Amino acid sequence: MANDTTQVEAKPLSILQRRWRKFKTLKRGWYSFLALVGLYLLSFLLPILINSKALVVSYEGELYFPAVADLLPFTEGHYSAEELGLYDPRRPDRLMRGEARYRLLQEQYEASDEGNWVLLAPYPYHPNESLLKEASFTGHPPTKPDARNWLGTDDRGRDVLARLAYGFRISITFALLVVAISYLIGMSIGATLGFFGGRVDIFGQRLVEIWAAMPFLYTVIIISSIVQPNLKILVAILAIFYWIGISFYMRGEFLREKSKDYVAGAISIGESNAAIMFKHILPNALTPVISFAPFAIVGGISSLVSLDYLGFGLPHPTPSWGELVGQGLANIPAGAWHLVVFPLGALFGTLLMVVFIGEAIREAFDPKVFSRLR
Amino acid sequence: MAAYFARRFLLLIPTFLGITFLVFTITQFVPGGPIEQMIMNMQASGGEGGAGGGGAAVEIPPAAMEALREHFNLDKPFFVAYGIWLWDLLHLDLGVSFKYNQPVIDVITSRFPISIYFGLIGFFLAYSICIPLGVFKAIKHGSAFDIGTSMTVFAGYSIPGWALGGLLLVLLGGGSFFDVFPLGGFRSEGWEDFGIWHKMTDQVHHTLLPVLAYMVGSFASLTILMKNSLMENLGQDYVRTAFAKGLSERTVIFGHTLRNSLIPICTGLGHAIGIIMAGSYLIEKVFNINGIGYLGYTSIVDRDYAVVMGILVINTLLVLVGNILSDVLYVLVDPRIRFS
Repeated sequence: MANDTTQVEAKPLSILQRRWRKFKTLKRGWYSFLALVGLYLLSFLLPILINSKALVVSYEGELYFPAVADLLPFTEGHYSAEELGLYDPRRPDRLMRGEARYRLLQEQYEASDEGNWVLLAPYPYHPNESLLKEASFTGHPPTKPDARNWLGTDDRGRDVLARLAYGFRISITFALLVVAISYLIGMSIGATLGFFGGRVDIFGQRLVEIWAAMPFLYTVIIISSIVQPNLKILVAILAIFYWIGISFYMRGEFLREKSKDYVAGAISIGESNAAIMFKHILPNALTPVISFAPFAIVGGISSLVSLDYLGFGLPHPTPSWGELVGQGLANIPAGAWHLVVFPLGALFGTLLMVVFIGEAIREAFDPKVFSRLR
Repeated sequence: MAAYFARRFLLLIPTFLGITFLVFTITQFVPGGPIEQMIMNMQASGGEGGAGGGGAAVEIPPAAMEALREHFNLDKPFFVAYGIWLWDLLHLDLGVSFKYNQPVIDVITSRFPISIYFGLIGFFLAYSICIPLGVFKAIKHGSAFDIGTSMTVFAGYSIPGWALGGLLLVLLGGGSFFDVFPLGGFRSEGWEDFGIWHKMTDQVHHTLLPVLAYMVGSFASLTILMKNSLMENLGQDYVRTAFAKGLSERTVIFGHTLRNSLIPICTGLGHAIGIIMAGSYLIEKVFNINGIGYLGYTSIVDRDYAVVMGILVINTLLVLVGNILSDVLYVLVDPRIRFS
């Protein structure tokens, strides 16, 4: 009978579950986490939220969905102006050539009143689309925020809000990729050095030292001034420098854990090296690595913005925060404050959320309890 | 102990060779290397000078091309080229900058004082603000003051120094909002002719914003380091003993605990020399300050590789020596540490 009661008892929570619960109780970090994950997921719907292409076009009884095609990589969403009956505004008797322009199309459909209609995206501008050719575009680019372009336009007449939103997705994706790849490299190398020790460790440490003493940003600039980076190359360039920090942590953890009794036990029952490393030591060595991750993401995002600002980042016309800031700072007396304040505000807000998450994760994984004596 | 540091200094050599070799390799295999860049410059200036030249290409005779290649050691296998570069370096000859037409050493040393000026001021201000702040936060842990300043610490961590500098320039540099500070630069034009008082105010006027940008980089980490270090020490047994024998809280904290908790701060001083001397590419670019960082940036853009390599050499040496210096300081301030 006594046994029954113990069986009814809930299975004890694993340490990871307990830490997760603790993380959820830390409101500032938890809500930042929800907000950031939510925004990032939402950013994958950007083609139907912020896009110059229309969501739905109804032309002579047929329906077209140009913007939806941008969501899915394998579909073709290009419709020519002829296909949709768009006339050239300068020569109203002739159909336009090239890709359809949907804001213009909406105006013409409404004017002609033939039962055709266009449903534009909620914010109908594309980040790479120059509005200079628009008949309604007044003033010199960069233009200040107004009712049409909520955050103004940049020096090529592109909408700033659209560029900021798409830039957010690129920045986060970039940082996640850098952190994932550099973790993979850093953890493998650190674990190998720490576990095998001896000559491997001494030789490996020398190589790591060479790598670590390189002036990081300077070298990255030199490399990317030479190879004309795209997203993949830039991720690779940063990852080959970022792994060093992780490898130090990992090596230390493996060195310490290796000398503990449970590892000796595992060795004595004949477990393979791989099994000991992955099954036994790795779960115990993850704490510093996980609590370091958000701060690595902060580093990744600010590196991208810095490189873009210097002009050694992602190629044109990729929407980028740093490039906008560069435009604004290049000519401050011209007064294009919106090109500096809005992107830096977006950068600051994003990083602050990541820092809050990092602080909460550290608190949950590695609580520092200070006893105050007196 | 002496043997340990002697070994550390000897280990500098392979590390230094490794780094310079890597970067030298990269710069040697560059498309658009020094010669192409030079030809482009010649064409550009030829186009401007020639009456209606229309950008006619300047033909480089093959013999001259060969002489140029020889001059830049591009005709030799690159191991040999690296060897020559290294040999010159041993004689403190970093080559000649093709952009400034001066020895690289002179170009770099002329920029050093400016970077050091900003670096040192930022460094002293950061330490003299962060240490008292960290101490106060630790003593008042959990108070409204602690929580309030924690927010500024988080904010400081969330904005890169150059970005804060750029933001301040837009807000206070007179473009759109307030015209309080100059748009960068080291001094106003005609500074030499100013009166002594005017000279000083002008200098301070140009110094304030860049220094703020320099400081924000270390502000967050330094404050938190100080706070955590002091908090950790306050829980030690020797603190209990000190209280038990009846010492006042003031004596315990400032006489006993603070000294021990300054150890991690001291060891960071070694790493700081690299930051002070090398300047920041980003902050100097934002503020148009003609220091080492900005020189490094423009030389990369212009592919002036003699200068690029020269700055790399100096940066690397500073980092490496700074690491050793940190260890030396560690031993000096903490007698418990013995390296062997």
